[in-house]
Amino acid sequence: MASRNNARKPLKLAPVLDLNEATALHNKLLELKGAPIAIDASAVERVGALCAQVLMAGAKTWEEDQLSFTFAKVSDAFVKATQLIGVDIAPLMAKEI
Amino acid sequence: MDMNEIKEIFFQECEEQLAELESGLLKLNDGDRDPETVNAVFRAVHSIKGGAGAFGLDDLVSFAHVFETTLDCVRSNRLEPNQDVLKVMLRSADVLADLTNAARDGGNVDEARSRQLIKELEALANGEMPQPAPEPAKAAPIAQVAPAPAANDDGFQPVAFSFEDFEAAEPPTIEPSTYEIVFRPKSELYAKGNDATLLLRDLSRLGEMSIRCDMDRLPALDEMNPEAAYFSWKISLKTDKGEEAIRSVFEFAEWDCELDVTLASGDASDAGQELPMQPVPFDLSLLDEGAPAQAEAIEDDEQIVSQQHDLRDAAVSTAANASNVLKMAQTAARAPVENAKASPASAAQAAGQQAASAATPTIRVDLDRVDRLINLVGELVINQAMLSQSVIENDTNGTSSINMGLEELQQLTREIQDSVMAIRAQPVKPVFQRMSRIVREIADMTGKSVRLVTEGENTEVDKTVIDKLAEPLTHMIRNAVDHGLETPEKRVAAGKNPEGTVRLTAKHRSGRIVIELADDGAGINREKVRQKAIDNDLIAADANLSDEEIDNLIFHAGFSTADKISDISGRGVGMDVVKRSIQALGGRINIQSKPGQGSVFTMSLPLTLAVLDGMVVTVANQTLVVPLTAIVETLQPEASAIHSFGATQRLISIRNSFCPLLDVGRILNFRATQANPVEGVALLVESEGGGQRALMVDAIQGQRQVVIKSLEANYTHVPGIAAATILGDGRVALILDVDAIVAASRGQALKPEMTLAATG
Amino acid sequence: MKKRVLTVDDSRTIRNMLLVTLNNAGFETIQAEDGVEGLEVLESANPDVIVTDINMPRLDGFGFIEGVRKNDRYRAVPILVLTTESDAEKKNRARQAGATGWIVKPFDPTKLIDAIERVTA
Repeated sequence: MASRNNARKPLKLAPVLDLNEATALHNKLLELKGAPIAIDASAVERVGALCAQVLMAGAKTWEEDQLSFTFAKVSDAFVKATQLIGVDIAPLMAKEI
Repeated sequence: MDMNEIKEIFFQECEEQLAELESGLLKLNDGDRDPETVNAVFRAVHSIKGGAGAFGLDDLVSFAHVFETTLDCVRSNRLEPNQDVLKVMLRSADVLADLTNAARDGGNVDEARSRQLIKELEALANGEMPQPAPEPAKAAPIAQVAPAPAANDDGFQPVAFSFEDFEAAEPPTIEPSTYEIVFRPKSELYAKGNDATLLLRDLSRLGEMSIRCDMDRLPALDEMNPEAAYFSWKISLKTDKGEEAIRSVFEFAEWDCELDVTLASGDASDAGQELPMQPVPFDLSLLDEGAPAQAEAIEDDEQIVSQQHDLRDAAVSTAANASNVLKMAQTAARAPVENAKASPASAAQAAGQQAASAATPTIRVDLDRVDRLINLVGELVINQAMLSQSVIENDTNGTSSINMGLEELQQLTREIQDSVMAIRAQPVKPVFQRMSRIVREIADMTGKSVRLVTEGENTEVDKTVIDKLAEPLTHMIRNAVDHGLETPEKRVAAGKNPEGTVRLTAKHRSGRIVIELADDGAGINREKVRQKAIDNDLIAADANLSDEEIDNLIFHAGFSTADKISDISGRGVGMDVVKRSIQALGGRINIQSKPGQGSVFTMSLPLTLAVLDGMVVTVANQTLVVPLTAIVETLQPEASAIHSFGATQRLISIRNSFCPLLDVGRILNFRATQANPVEGVALLVESEGGGQRALMVDAIQGQRQVVIKSLEANYTHVPGIAAATILGDGRVALILDVDAIVAASRGQALKPEMTLAATG
Repeated sequence: MKKRVLTVDDSRTIRNMLLVTLNNAGFETIQAEDGVEGLEVLESANPDVIVTDINMPRLDGFGFIEGVRKNDRYRAVPILVLTTESDAEKKNRARQAGATGWIVKPFDPTKLIDAIERVTA
């Protein structure tokens, strides 16, 4: 059903993913639950661990729902921050088809 | 702004804090138990210590530290601030003031005294009650008496920041080893504005790092608390900085995480096999907004280091010029503007800065600026007077609009002048506060018990007057305690409270400030004064003097009623010096005394030294100004009232009493022979010692307020002349020094050549 | 972009030292004189990091930190406590109130900049 729906919902991440953004991001993801999601992390400048947790919890939940959860665009800062904290986003990167 | 300027600010601030400290302690002494009072006192000492530490003023820091510790006991109700405790604290405040002055101006402090007080403060902090001071100067090193702050275990280190420290902070380079670190943050870590990302960033800077994020505890999205900590990390770090460096990365997070640091048993690859780890790329530039920023920071470090050297230089060099403060204020004022220019985005923030400064109701302005303004306004007043005069002279049928305009101009100039004068007006409070220390010291020295009560401390007067008030006031206070008040035994015998009271009051009265110093001592011993005056040939043995005249004898030069010159009010200065300094300020002093009840000294001073109400008179075709405050009355002498005696002396009889008649023109050498009194006007003036003199002038031109121009600054001192002014018609007029004229009439002739030269 | 630092200290001496040090290190500095003023200017200052004293009139450092942590928009801002009080009790109180870290006086520019770098991205 939902997996049939190929229209991925976009989610653009804020530049600063800090303590305050964690709750906001959490809410945004909860709203988008049940549909494939393409995350735009191209504007991200700063990644706090709390937001990384929320994103990874999202990825886990989407996986359980067998829905696609991908990072469509990422900034350098985003990539480096995730590398720093040992969060591997490579499997979640959007694949060019 | 450099460190010298900041240091100057520090000392200014110290002065304020010391005043705050003293007034707080005095309030406590009066039974005030408001916690905010205790807090303010504590803060004052604390603040001095903080600044002193930054400038490496170790003596000041050590003393402030001990003082602060004891005050903290009061603050936390472990020590009751009773009178004995406060006595120690007030004396400590005095020592703190001495140490501050010594730090600023160089010079020595009484080390035995500060050691003794450190001992007493320590004892108080340890719950011992104050002991009557034993032999003060046991050469016990401070380190034994008080825990030397350098070695204090509360971590307080009075070490000025220096390059050496900076270097020492660099951990020693050691062989690279691999550490295994387990890092489990708690939710609190994030709640306090910290972030695991930042800690891991700092950690990665220590060496080669591999990391594995443990996400096992991460729940599903809808079950998670977005602000709770779920991630934990296993890190392998190869570094030559040592375990200390690793732990210090987590210094701020210590309580908010679990941290486990162990030296890896084998080489790094072992750990790598055990846990799949992601190597962390060394280039993390984007994480901290670019490597250039980092380089910049290093440069800045160097700047800071050079500043540290400045700072240390500053610590040894003498206090910087006060005008530095002005430069600083300018810099500070400019800063927000530049910020706004730099980026429009920061305009809001700059506005915030302004909002921040708007919350402070005062600005600090360098005195030079105000003085320049006052001078300019003085010129304006003169200019305005000249303009009015030339309009009157040239435009006989002057249109009403010009006249109205001139009148308005005059009004405005007056108002500007008053407002400008108000800028310099300051409360007498700082001077009054200083007096309480004087009282304490003399009370200690004389073994008298004294209470100083001050009233009207917020009465304002020109700053120059305030500055010059301290010295005569100090002397009078010393005098009041030393000579005025009786010993506690005598007071009890006389049925009085053993504790004497000295009351210092300030108030405004008819455009002047009146300062009263009253004691409830024995009053003037008129018999003794009279006898002393006879012994010193001040009066004839059979002179018939009123009580008031006897009382005023104490203002005579060289007069001292103390049987022996005491250590306190002796010092070779008498009340005559006090009187002269008050008069130099354009003031007057008098005394009222009641035997057994005490004495009241009343000083009346002008509110400003920049303008003067004067009577403009003519003497031998010269225009002179006589200060209005000196004039009691003016009269037209009649021939029948003039009496000659001796070769040149003349007297004028006024209401059945005789008063010496002095020809101002003759005394100033404006003319060779005495003028005919009947053709002139006599100004009755009050002179030194209370007696009256009649000053003969040719004519009175009128009364006006004049702007005082210093002759010393513009020309040179002229005997008999206090200062000069410029009149409306542009002429320079000299302001008469009435007391000098009176003194000259007694035979101390003025130097003639100077006088004529000055008036030409 | 320059990092913005809000400093809160009642001592003019320390305020000036902070200003010089922070400006030299390339920060934009906004200053308040006590906790009350610190909270008042919080919005307009929009700081990346806050440096505050503990002993202050009107509202002390503890109260100020609590105030910031209760502010929805600024509760995540790192706060460094600048104080001579380095004993465990004071540090603990500051931490409980929500301080991120501390800088032990006497004032040392290197320590200050270092601490700021540590708590800011």
